[in-house]
Amino acid sequence: MLMPKKVKFRKQQRGRMRGKAWRGAELAFGDFGLKVMECGYITDRQIEASRIAMTRFIKRGGKVWLRLFPDKPVTKKPAETRMGKGKGAPDHWVAVVRPGKILFEMEGVSQADAAEAMRLASNKLPLKTKFVARHGH
Amino acid sequence: MISNEVVEAEQRTNESRGKNEARRVRVTGKIPAVVYGAKKESIALTVNPKQITKILHSDSGHNTIFDLQIANGGKEKVMIVDWQYDPIKSNLLHIDLKRIDMKAVIKVAVPLVLVGESAGVKQQGGIMDQVLREVEVECLPSDIPSHIDVDVSQLVFGQVIRVADLPHGGKLKFLTPEDQAIAHITTVKEEVVATPDAAAVDATAAAEPEVIKKGKQDAEDATAPAAPAGKK
Repeated sequence: MLMPKKVKFRKQQRGRMRGKAWRGAELAFGDFGLKVMECGYITDRQIEASRIAMTRFIKRGGKVWLRLFPDKPVTKKPAETRMGKGKGAPDHWVAVVRPGKILFEMEGVSQADAAEAMRLASNKLPLKTKFVARHGH
Repeated sequence: MISNEVVEAEQRTNESRGKNEARRVRVTGKIPAVVYGAKKESIALTVNPKQITKILHSDSGHNTIFDLQIANGGKEKVMIVDWQYDPIKSNLLHIDLKRIDMKAVIKVAVPLVLVGESAGVKQQGGIMDQVLREVEVECLPSDIPSHIDVDVSQLVFGQVIRVADLPHGGKLKFLTPEDQAIAHITTVKEEVVATPDAAAVDATAAAEPEVIKKGKQDAEDATAPAAPAGKK
């Protein structure tokens, strides 16, 4: 699973997810992409599941770029624990996304194949997404 | 490329500047814009986004030189130099226009179009990876090409097409570094389906990342004497 190699602090506060993704909202590498249309957390497992779904569909036909990285730790208290006694232990990692962010990009496949691969990837995600293509395709 | 398109614009007054006024302009169906350059004052404008979108989606794209007709003002040759889209709705929010002096050389980014099916893709089963999509050139406004064709039909594994391989000379002066790669043939390893045992090993191996300690603290720990017991 994806996670940072080094961190400054083990635990983080949740923060807010306001506004739109003004950066990382346009295709930078490939011809096709998957754009998220709402804000939320995407976990390391969901990113990996989406990547596998895409790469299995296109096989060796295309190149895939991941434009998100899970750099935020999410903590969890053990089951059947009373409240209090401090914050729980780090459980998994998430990427915070805002609407408009490009999650994945793809190149070297037809538009129909890219759209189907992105649909399969989108099925693994908890957020609403949209398939986007570079102008001229 | 020079177009015969005439874009009509209205000047915005000093009172109609700022975020709130820009939003009010967008509600009316127009977008805020600004025109500058040619050693003249910059003017805040409102323009019709449909006309601008048509220009941006034309063959020559953002390098189209067109006429800007400002109400109560003259006609000027301008070019779109910057534009902002809404990340969700994908509609235009704002554009920057630059006055063009037809006798002075300008710097523009010209799109690169890959032409032909490469041998690396056709015969060797590779994937074409286009690294550079626009190249920066210097030329007279009348000489701006709509695009530059890059022939990739002879491209095979291990070869790279660079800016130096583009047709040089003539009216264009390339500003992008000559050794900058444009396209190459790449390959992708097929995904190996993980066995349940390997997946279990992966799950256990996922430890916590290293926490960066402050360098100062380490030095202090080494030099400072042990704290007396019972002292807070």
